[in-house]
Amino acid sequence: MKRIRNFSIIAHIDHGKSTLADRFIQTCGGLADREMSDQVLDSMDLERERGITIKAQSVSLNYQAKDGETYQLNLIDTPGHVDFSYEVSRSLAACEGALLVVDAAQGVEAQSVANCYTAIEQGLEVLPVVNKIDLPSADAERVCTEIEEIIGIDATDAVRTSAKTGLGVVDVLEAVVSRIPEPEGDPDAPLQALIIDSWFDNYVGVVSLIRIVNGRLGKRDKVRVMSTGRSYPADRIGRFTPKMTDTGLLETGEVGFLVAGIKEIDGAPVGDTLTLESNPCSEPLPGFREVQPRVFAGLFPVSSDDYETFREALQKLKLNDSALHYEPESSGALGFGFRCGFLGMLHMEIVQERLEREYGLELITTAPTVVYELATTDGAVSYVDNPARLPQSSQLDEIREPIILANILVPQNHVGAVIGLCVEKRGVQKRMQYLGGQVSLEYELPMSEVVLDFFDRLKSVSRGYASFDYEFCRYQAAPLTRLDILINGERVDALSVIVHRESAYRRGKDLVERMRELIPRQMFDVAIQAAIGGQIIARTTVKALRKNVTAKCYGGDVSRKRKLLEKQKAGKRRMKQVGSVEIPQEAFLAVLQVEKK
Amino acid sequence: MLAEPPLGLYVHMPWCLAKCPYCDFNSHGLRGELPHERYTAALIRDLERAAGPLRGRELATVFFGGGTPSLFPAESVARVLTAARRLLATDASLEVTLEANPGGMEIGDLASFRDAGVTRISLGVQSFDARALRVLGRIHGPDEARAAARAVSAAGLERLNLDLMYALPGQSAEEAVADVEAAVVLAPEHISQYQLTLEPNTLFHARPPELPDEDSAAAMQEATAEALAAAGYVRYEVSAWARPGAECRHNLNYWRYGDYLGVGAGAHGKITRTEEGRILRTRNFRHPDAYMQAGDPLEELTEVAPRDRVFEFMLNVLRLADGFDTALFESRTGMPAGVLAPALARADDLGLVEACGNAAWRPTLRGLQFLNDLQILFLPEATDS
Repeated sequence: MKRIRNFSIIAHIDHGKSTLADRFIQTCGGLADREMSDQVLDSMDLERERGITIKAQSVSLNYQAKDGETYQLNLIDTPGHVDFSYEVSRSLAACEGALLVVDAAQGVEAQSVANCYTAIEQGLEVLPVVNKIDLPSADAERVCTEIEEIIGIDATDAVRTSAKTGLGVVDVLEAVVSRIPEPEGDPDAPLQALIIDSWFDNYVGVVSLIRIVNGRLGKRDKVRVMSTGRSYPADRIGRFTPKMTDTGLLETGEVGFLVAGIKEIDGAPVGDTLTLESNPCSEPLPGFREVQPRVFAGLFPVSSDDYETFREALQKLKLNDSALHYEPESSGALGFGFRCGFLGMLHMEIVQERLEREYGLELITTAPTVVYELATTDGAVSYVDNPARLPQSSQLDEIREPIILANILVPQNHVGAVIGLCVEKRGVQKRMQYLGGQVSLEYELPMSEVVLDFFDRLKSVSRGYASFDYEFCRYQAAPLTRLDILINGERVDALSVIVHRESAYRRGKDLVERMRELIPRQMFDVAIQAAIGGQIIARTTVKALRKNVTAKCYGGDVSRKRKLLEKQKAGKRRMKQVGSVEIPQEAFLAVLQVEKK
Repeated sequence: MLAEPPLGLYVHMPWCLAKCPYCDFNSHGLRGELPHERYTAALIRDLERAAGPLRGRELATVFFGGGTPSLFPAESVARVLTAARRLLATDASLEVTLEANPGGMEIGDLASFRDAGVTRISLGVQSFDARALRVLGRIHGPDEARAAARAVSAAGLERLNLDLMYALPGQSAEEAVADVEAAVVLAPEHISQYQLTLEPNTLFHARPPELPDEDSAAAMQEATAEALAAAGYVRYEVSAWARPGAECRHNLNYWRYGDYLGVGAGAHGKITRTEEGRILRTRNFRHPDAYMQAGDPLEELTEVAPRDRVFEFMLNVLRLADGFDTALFESRTGMPAGVLAPALARADDLGLVEACGNAAWRPTLRGLQFLNDLQILFLPEATDS
């Protein structure tokens, strides 16, 4: 155990986490040069493209330190976005230390701050690392001051490096060895192993990345997943070097993989504890939580023929994504599809993009919504994730909306604009602190406002400088109501939204106006109305087209006319027929863009 | 059962004095002498080849289209007609239309055309507004248009059609109506009226003039329709107006999915072979030089699949105010009328067609106004993949 070091890298997107990890692998000889593709750890295409990590991966390296000893360095990668904060906390729970990697030109960003606090709270040794010191705009001194002021850790010994050029990489590894504590734990105690992450592999089923906290795990041991109580024989055990290498045994303090014939990812949930069936521990490790989706949207195939493909695609994605929830939804307007639950907006975008890219699906997505808590007059509490299903207000005692606590870090000169935005979004300021050139803001915000367009707006009012992190706080009663859109008198379920009573009129007006711009003229007038309950609060009309254009064409040749009509028909097919009205796909997302004008 | 429909002959004459900026037809600005000898010889060769297998079928109509066919000497027209009469059965009722442009240099010798057998002149007037004609790149003025129309009557030709366009750059509804009224005064038996559109591969497409918006264009269409109806013309087809009995028989045959031989550069033909149960489409080389040089000018011969016949029939017949009956549908397509039922029901729901008499359907006025929306309903589902 003495020569094991378990650590994570905390960094903002683009601050060079993956590049640094690649350098570690190279320095320790984990892979031959020809096997190094850029950023080995981000193995999904999408991750590589977006520069973010979705699944936590790990690499176990043997490092020959300057003291002459060989150390087992276990680097546990952490997902890099606000939506995945629980996953981050589980990755950190498996470590004794963390490298806080900060871009020498960009400085500290909110996401790093939040993760850093999580690490400190969990008792990790945090080593500041200033990266990209080769950049002309690098200012390591300023960044160190920021680290001290904003995060409050001593940055005197911050290691300076350039992962890109390789400068200082060994210094980082030496710091890991000398300053991160060795793991503690009792090798003779009953097994307690933390599931850091699980993913589905087509050949072997579920693979779990685990950290042995106490005891040891050997091949053919019968392991019990504590939250489900189910047991499985350990088929394969080993370490990622970074290739999957069987060792047959994992000792106290080590990090490695387990394959145990588990068929579904829910069978090995992140944060859960594994123990031995023969000699179980008495208590699971702390911190396990079932992952709850917080943002929901209806996803519908443009062509109803794709429904089965869509269902299979969701099944496959779900294999590897326990946070993704879905259940069949049938919409009057959009036909058959699925109501999908996501951790947050980024998670949703990733899933959408994978469905479209990897499965070739064309989807219509309804505006995302949060989960509301309903207290009905009979005293019962229920949850609704679909505005169309919000019951009549007469049956409701109270509607409660989810409130989040947002941590925003913004340079001083943009703080006014950010506060303005938070106020507009019904935020309540909890804390404001000047830290060097930056201001740290804490706001309680209704999550529905954050889902709408908060992130984009925050970036635009701060010219891209503000960064943001959030956590769920509580449900809070609010004067909410359902705003319906009626097209030619027919309620379009997929366009309903839940809004604040006081902004309902404005939203209704904006929304019908936006619809008027998006819905093309048709053979008849299209009346667009916004309604609350039975009351129409805004209306507008798309005036009927008066005629088609009949150009002169040569009567002998039907092919050109046919092509023209086929093109028009294809255009119609991309729209959704609601009653007799054709509505373009963009209209279903218009709710989101209402305030972007 | 597929039955032999009436037969027409289309003859394409692909040259104009100048190419108009809106025109996407197979026409070419004339550079140098018109090669009328060579071209006429090629037409006759083409006709002999195309009509050969149809020997004995009766020819009902001939249409010389262009381009500007009136640029050709009447003798060319006479030679083509003589060949047609030699190859196919004809009688005294043969309708022979010749397209002509009104300019002094392009109108041709109308009396000679009449003597050659032409019975009907279609004049490309487009407008009676001098400014509009200039914008359209026409080489004639309003006075020449009037003179040409009068010359047609004076030459003793039976029928006259005037081609008009509306929704011209900068045009008002009043001006569009004035164009129609100026046409009506000349008492043509037939008026064709089209909206100016910007088609790909035209000068206007590359450098678009500012056109009236779609509501203004619709208002012009409605106002001019009123004027035409008031003057005694009947809209028998979406863009064609005629005094009762003076409809263009050649075009009616297209619209009723009849047969036609297509002779000349880029001409299309459609022939029903009842004994084989097939419908064939032909298309000639498009460029005049390629056409004249080719031993056999036929570039493409395709068979119309049964489900495409259904669509093609409807595409055409729905243009006609009187519509069709199921007997016509079955004899022209060889398909049972039942296949139309779902789309007809949908069109009926949308108010685009109405039943008229026994097993007959016609587009409503709304159906004519929204002809594309109506025709789309009859497109076959996603073509073979």
